[in-house]
Amino acid sequence: MIRAIALSSLAIAAPFGAAAHQLVVFASVDCEAVTVEAKFSSGRVTQQGDVRVLDGENNLLTTLQLESDGTALVPLESVDHSGGLLIEVDTGSHDNYWIVTPEDIARNCGS
Amino acid sequence: MVRVLNGFLAFVVIALSGTTAFAQDRPRVVAVNQALHDFAERLLGDAAEVVFPVPEGVDPSFWRPSIADISMIQSADLILLNGAGFATWIDRVSLPRSRVVNTSAAIEDRFIVTESITHSHGDGGEHSHEGIASYTWLDPMLAIAQAEAIAAAVIVRDLAIEGIVEARLAELRSDLTALDAMAQDALSGMDGVAMIATHPRYQYFARRYSLSIASLEWDAGAMPGEDDLADLERLSTELDAGILIWEAQPPREAIELADALGLKSIVFETWAGQGTPDSLFTAYRQAVSDLADAASQFAD
Repeated sequence: MIRAIALSSLAIAAPFGAAAHQLVVFASVDCEAVTVEAKFSSGRVTQQGDVRVLDGENNLLTTLQLESDGTALVPLESVDHSGGLLIEVDTGSHDNYWIVTPEDIARNCGS
Repeated sequence: MVRVLNGFLAFVVIALSGTTAFAQDRPRVVAVNQALHDFAERLLGDAAEVVFPVPEGVDPSFWRPSIADISMIQSADLILLNGAGFATWIDRVSLPRSRVVNTSAAIEDRFIVTESITHSHGDGGEHSHEGIASYTWLDPMLAIAQAEAIAAAVIVRDLAIEGIVEARLAELRSDLTALDAMAQDALSGMDGVAMIATHPRYQYFARRYSLSIASLEWDAGAMPGEDDLADLERLSTELDAGILIWEAQPPREAIELADALGLKSIVFETWAGQGTPDSLFTAYRQAVSDLADAASQFAD
């Protein structure tokens, strides 16, 4: 377990951005495909990693590899997306996810 | 007799269908923690269905929703975020921007920055994760600001009658102000008493009442392991601490181990997740009272 010891008296009152050095995953969808993008919060592109696509029941539908630009394309016709899709990206040292609901797909497909 | 029974069943069916229709007709408001849920319920009454979707026993900061959960949330009329980095899931889904309200937007200049974790893994080298203390509502003055944000959002979206919401807000503001006054009175003069919390939840509470609360990273309500206890002993000795604050009721054995280190255990539920039936106010008053009692014993 990662432990932390932080004295509240050391806290600084100021606005602050998001936590450093985490994997950020984003997925956008149109009628053809889900486009997955992954990068570290430092801005560094995630050059490799597994992209797991699961359905609403957490069944694994397919696994892809990230391209060198940190993206992956999931053709909608290749998966049963009727219950939405859970996109997980795992680089080995960091992981994160994005949830695509059926409503996201319908909305972005103009229906 | 049969006729009476039939009549009763018909009444039950009508009543149940009426209830269902009532629930379906009402706007739905989703909150990301129990505190915001309770504030919204007080402001809205029966005018809306207020939902806190995180199951009992799950830390809402790190809840991983299902696709069905997100579908439900996306269809809500109002989605109340805490802000300050609370609830990691909100950055992993698409939420309808026009229906999302960050209840701490007006108090960002009062956020507390934390630098808490240094670790290494993979080939990334050692690095630290910084962030913002999230439990803003444990400072009643910040809680008032968040309640005001909820009330404004409810009114502007016409989810309830403005005059009623404003009256309820005045009452809630009054209750939170009284809670603050009670805490100010009970905790005055405790600035020299070192305390340790089993989880970093109490930064805003500590700042509001000029308390010195150091934090560990233990699982809420769980039995600490050997390493955890070694950390506690080291920190307790370093700070000469006398009070240990638990986020949830720990096992009795854990309290005995803390006792052996000379630490008086206090349970202070934060009202982030679904907890005991006690209200936030009841839990807060009890914790403040227990802290004051323990501090007076420690000072003696």
